Amino acid sequence: MLKIIFPSIMLMPLTWLSKNNMIWINPTVYSLLISLISLSTLNQYSDISTNFSLLFFSDALSAPLLVLTTWLLPLMLIASQSHLSKEPLTRKKVYITMLILLQVLLIMTFTASELIMFYVLFEATLVPTLIIITRWGSQAERLNAGSYFLFYTLSGSLPLLVALVYIQNTTGSLNFLIMQYWNQPLMDSWSNALLWLACMMAFMVKMPLYGLHLWLPKAHVEAPIAGSMVLAAVLLKLGGYGMLRLTTMLNPLTEYMAYPFLMLSLWGMIMTSSICLRQTDLKALIAYSSVSHMALVIVAILIQTPWSYMGATTLMVAHGLTSSMLFCLANTNYERTHSRTMILARGLQTLLPLMAMWWLLASLANLALPPTINLLGELFVVMSAFSWSNITIILMGANMMITALYSLYMLIMTQRGKHTHHINNIKPTYTRENTLMALHMLPLLMLSLNPKIIMGLTY
Amino acid sequence: MLRRALWLGWGRGLLGLGLGTRRGVSTLEWDGKVSEIKKKIQSVIPGGAWNPLYDTSHLPPEHSDVVIVGGGVLGLSVAYWLKRLEKQRGAIKVLVVERDHTYSQASTVLSVGGIRQQFSLPENIQLSLFSVEFLRNINEYLAVVDDPPLDLQFNPSGYLFLASEKGAATMENNVKVQRQEGAKVCLMSPEQLRNKFPWINTEGVALASYGLENEGWFDPWSLLQGLRRKVQSMGVLFCQGEVTRFVSSSDRMETPSGEEVILKKIHEVHVKVDHSQEYQPVECAIVVNTAGAWSGQIAELAGIGKGPPGTLQGTKLPVEPRKRYVYLWHCPQGPGLEAPLLADPSGAYFRRDGLGNNYLGGCSPTAEEEPDPGNLEVDHDFFQDKVWPLLAQRVPAFETLKVKSAWAGYYDYNTFDQNGVVGPHPLVVNMYFATGFSGHGLQQAPAVGRAVAEMVLEGHFQTIDLSPFLFSRFYLGEKAQEHCII
Repeated sequence: MLKIIFPSIMLMPLTWLSKNNMIWINPTVYSLLISLISLSTLNQYSDISTNFSLLFFSDALSAPLLVLTTWLLPLMLIASQSHLSKEPLTRKKVYITMLILLQVLLIMTFTASELIMFYVLFEATLVPTLIIITRWGSQAERLNAGSYFLFYTLSGSLPLLVALVYIQNTTGSLNFLIMQYWNQPLMDSWSNALLWLACMMAFMVKMPLYGLHLWLPKAHVEAPIAGSMVLAAVLLKLGGYGMLRLTTMLNPLTEYMAYPFLMLSLWGMIMTSSICLRQTDLKALIAYSSVSHMALVIVAILIQTPWSYMGATTLMVAHGLTSSMLFCLANTNYERTHSRTMILARGLQTLLPLMAMWWLLASLANLALPPTINLLGELFVVMSAFSWSNITIILMGANMMITALYSLYMLIMTQRGKHTHHINNIKPTYTRENTLMALHMLPLLMLSLNPKIIMGLTY
Repeated sequence: MLRRALWLGWGRGLLGLGLGTRRGVSTLEWDGKVSEIKKKIQSVIPGGAWNPLYDTSHLPPEHSDVVIVGGGVLGLSVAYWLKRLEKQRGAIKVLVVERDHTYSQASTVLSVGGIRQQFSLPENIQLSLFSVEFLRNINEYLAVVDDPPLDLQFNPSGYLFLASEKGAATMENNVKVQRQEGAKVCLMSPEQLRNKFPWINTEGVALASYGLENEGWFDPWSLLQGLRRKVQSMGVLFCQGEVTRFVSSSDRMETPSGEEVILKKIHEVHVKVDHSQEYQPVECAIVVNTAGAWSGQIAELAGIGKGPPGTLQGTKLPVEPRKRYVYLWHCPQGPGLEAPLLADPSGAYFRRDGLGNNYLGGCSPTAEEEPDPGNLEVDHDFFQDKVWPLLAQRVPAFETLKVKSAWAGYYDYNTFDQNGVVGPHPLVVNMYFATGFSGHGLQQAPAVGRAVAEMVLEGHFQTIDLSPFLFSRFYLGEKAQEHCII
């Protein structure tokens, strides 16, 4: 694992010591190379995790997320070039350093083998994200968004610290590799219920769960493009990853402690999908769609069947790529019209046909079109939820329909129709933007050829 | 509440009357402190409006989808229709930038307030027809919850245009066009004039056209306040400031005939606060120029007209301020309550004002007598020398009158063809105009606002086709000349 972490850390001096005209090229190219290294972790022998050291390990669950994280850094750098072009050089370097720091912390989080280390890094990822949102966001509301983001996540995760320290004290070790063999069932008592809640709430806030999702639309909308990308693609998956790890040691309490969260998620996914239909701000629409997809993941994790775990992992990777791509597309719109309102930038298909193709592919992926991995994930989740309780199929079916509705609504609103007069002279698509979309889409499409590498622990 | 209960309980029970005053004073202090602490806590936790940097509440927001330059009746009308025609509530963020919130020099409030359908262009007639329907149903359009209904004091007394021998044929043609569009106008001979309005001296009058319905005058200040109130309730932001700069990005493009044009797109508006060097760059997608008499300056800021003359680049916005005087006089023997707004062929006009034998009116000066638009000072000699003789000649009762007051206002005068400029600029693609109405802007404001909102939201005019009023006519030389100008 050091072969990934050290090069990532060294990206920072690379940025600071690069020449002025190489400041974007150097980190981008080297981070692409690092992501190629991380691909080697995907070669998993089932059931045995690859232990690199006492501190780091990777198994079938963390490898896909690790690859997603390392893949995303070059994409974030490519996407940020335009809106940072007018900033002074030092500020650009600070921004890139923040992104790299976030990347390093995320890599270590996903490969941490000890839970306290995982927790420390989980909290540490908040700091660069907060800096990116509040310093480089584009509107005055970003301060509010930053505080919402920070305080929601902090207050959710402080109980987790207490719980982890308690478990460490009572069981002696919090290492994953030991925990999976040692597992004792959690007896039914009030204090154990509180322990369960303490462990889970941090990740519920991060996912986000429907009742605790207020920070997400704000943070996503106010963040600059790289911030939105990393938030949607990776930081939300931190919650899913943490839940997947911790539920193994919280049985059998999960069986009935999970009910309120299951209900909230099942209801929340329809609610947030419906809100998407009424959104006028493009980024807010994509943010709410993230909440909706993640609600499916929460349902999958809390049901705890092998198929649902597969669905959860697949859906996390698929949503990471799709959501990040949608945010990049929305950003290309924003850079041209300087407005996020959908009705002011319409009929783009006639003006930018190639971008329209990317929009089409991203929207089709978002609505879980076969044979993309989005569909596989959703299918597994729907099937396992149906076997858990027959009624969920109604809710999930309604959710899939509304997801299709708002994805197509977004596509038609931005691409079809007659274009308004004031977008007559928008700049044509840059090659950089086309590259960005292609780099999002290609992994997504190629994974549909071999999805078993992202299907997680129970494949 | 708990505190009050505690105070009541303790004050009566424990301490009695002796310490009552002291207790009362110290409780008030404690009360104040607690509410201060509460306010402080509330402002810090998420959800409050605390900005740790510095107070920017007097500045406009950093981003707005549409920035409307000029908060007069046209600007507010565009804001109203933008908010009304948006498909979902809160879809577009609109900001109205107004330099002077007292409207001391705005053409809207200094206007005579008349509305008529007697125009020569069909588009003008349609605009006025819709506007009068808007004004008649103002309380359905501009209703705000819990606010009192608007009273525009609409006097539907009609307009009376007099024509001499020379202009009689044009007047007849115009009336035909007006009738076709649906205006209710009747032609009167001098005989009929004398019967209906015995106070007119019909010497030199060959024909008169009288608006029977939907014409008259109203109070522009009430309309402005009603629009302002409604527009604020719909979520439009107001800010006090002056637009000092447009930051735009330009692109060289080629037309199908191979000619090179430079298309510009404004993406930032710098709004400067009064009496200060502070300015706020507002990132925007669309700018609407409704600055009235100062639209020409705003257009120049955007780079319209900077180019070799004779090209589209070099075509300026031909709107400039022209000063017009309005005089208010008292005449007990005057025409009385049934007087319409009379427009004499010589250019003088007057109307009744209120119920106390007051009249107001004026006269459009000839080109040589154009007053200097630098300030709004009134030239009283103009009335004595020019207006009064014309009035007295047409209405003999006006030979004895007493001028009570006078004021001056600007026409946003379109030197090209005295008709409004509506719609986008061909080169600065996201600047829309709604200005240059040369004296009949107030009466067409509701309809023009709707047209501009349709243009912004849909991309074309939907209800009334105002293509003759687009900017490109200045370059192409196609005048949309209006003949009935007062």
